[in-house]
Amino acid sequence: MDLDVRTKLFIAAIFSVLAIVYQDPVILGALLVILLPVLAFLKTPLGKFYDFRKLFYLYLILIIIQSLFVRGGAPLLKIGTIHLLTTDGLIYGLAVVMRFIILVGAGLILVACDTAKLLLAMSKMKIPYEIVFMIQLGIRFIPTLIGELSATFDAIQMRGADLRRVYKRKVFKVYLEIFTPLVFGILQKAEQLSILLELRGFRRYPERTSYKTIAMKKRDYIVIALTSAATMVFIFGAILYGKEQIPFNLR
Amino acid sequence: MPYISLNRVSYIYSGRSMPAVKDITLTFEKGEKIALTGTNGSGKSTIARLMLGLLKPQAGTVTLANRPIGDYSLVEIGERLGYVLQNPTQMLFTTTVYDEIAFGLRWKGVRGSELDKVCKNILKHFALWPLRNKMPLTLSEGQKQLVAICAVLALKPAYLILDEPTKSIDTFRKDILLNALQDIGHKGTGIIIISHDQEFTHRLCNREIKVFDGKVATDGSRC
Ligand SMILES: Nc1ncnc2c1ncn2[C@@H]1O[C@H](COP(=O)(O)OP(=O)(O)O)[C@@H](O)[C@H]1O
Ligand SMILES: [Mg+2]
Repeated sequence: MDLDVRTKLFIAAIFSVLAIVYQDPVILGALLVILLPVLAFLKTPLGKFYDFRKLFYLYLILIIIQSLFVRGGAPLLKIGTIHLLTTDGLIYGLAVVMRFIILVGAGLILVACDTAKLLLAMSKMKIPYEIVFMIQLGIRFIPTLIGELSATFDAIQMRGADLRRVYKRKVFKVYLEIFTPLVFGILQKAEQLSILLELRGFRRYPERTSYKTIAMKKRDYIVIALTSAATMVFIFGAILYGKEQIPFNLR
Repeated sequence: MPYISLNRVSYIYSGRSMPAVKDITLTFEKGEKIALTGTNGSGKSTIARLMLGLLKPQAGTVTLANRPIGDYSLVEIGERLGYVLQNPTQMLFTTTVYDEIAFGLRWKGVRGSELDKVCKNILKHFALWPLRNKMPLTLSEGQKQLVAICAVLALKPAYLILDEPTKSIDTFRKDILLNALQDIGHKGTGIIIISHDQEFTHRLCNREIKVFDGKVATDGSRC
């Protein structure tokens, strides 16, 4: 459905806040299950999830680290008397990853929006333009940067540096060697970007008019009302489920 | 036996509706000198990235010396194919111009006076020697492009794939580049030049492949 950007912003905010507030794996799992049809309803390009596949190892490391530091539950892995991995640990590790996926999913709702409209919506909500702009930059600039960095890493390997090599010391030396130029390159791009911004009248936003317009329609108010109601039901359900899950510990 | 071959290759960038390359079949023999031309956005750079295994086609196969390109590691591909990107900034990653040339040679095991000789020769040949201690990223576009080309030339690959190599190079250094390419071409190195610079490609290449809208429009030899 074609909703106003502000409605989408609202939905994304609700999911993000809930994902951050709750820590229980069951509640996060429920939230994730609810998020999926919502994403489908908003026609979010789920293909973008695929772009995050390179983060798979990061998820894995997150699970492992989380798992190692949570005690309790039945031990799954132990060295001598030390419990390395417990069931509770594993469950909490999974919870962290679910939270991550929910946050990415909520972010995708916004990525799919027309950036110009998103900026317009946020500035109508009186969010300072600098902050709005930083968010936009994060959404648009970082993927480009990652793309360019991966081109550089391809070039490094095609020049003969085997970064997957077992001689870790040598690989470490390569990273040390390329670190300064790489950071220099990123700063250079940032500088070029800021010059371009000045040239195009950055910070002139209040005086600028906009070609695109946004308007809340009846269905937006309905969706926001439904989302609010659903959120209350969700929080209520979580409270019934127990386990210290009242947001911000209001008990 | 072709050295590089693309067999019914199609590629679509994620998030795009139209494929950038549509059902392309091309073969390249050892030592050929080819100009790959076509309008902006016709898919030339995409074809290059597919040949190098940097993009995996959704359909079709790419082979290098009769083996699927996917069987090679990037290092192994780099030993055979020298690739200079359209945007040289993305392939300059060392602190000095000298190191940029030396980087690949060091990984090849070239050391000491031999290394110094090769670097010195190539930098002097392209009149880049005075810049040897500068950081490549601080150079002008044309200088960056030349440094990137030199870094790849120094490794003596079997095939060179240069994406818009003459874009911002001055005429003086363009002549030097042309001579250098003609020279290694005579010695048997294959060269693929993606360029609109007809004057440059005419003097070097004997086959022109014209790409239009992701498809091969014409592919013919020319004297
Ligand atoms: N990284 C990319 N992501 C999405 N689309 C791309 C990307 N690179 C190129 N394209 C698109 O693919 C088509 C072919 O591009 P390209 O191969 O760079 O053309 P050429 O080098 O002939 O100018 C163009 O329509 C371009 O917009
Ligand atoms: Mg191109």
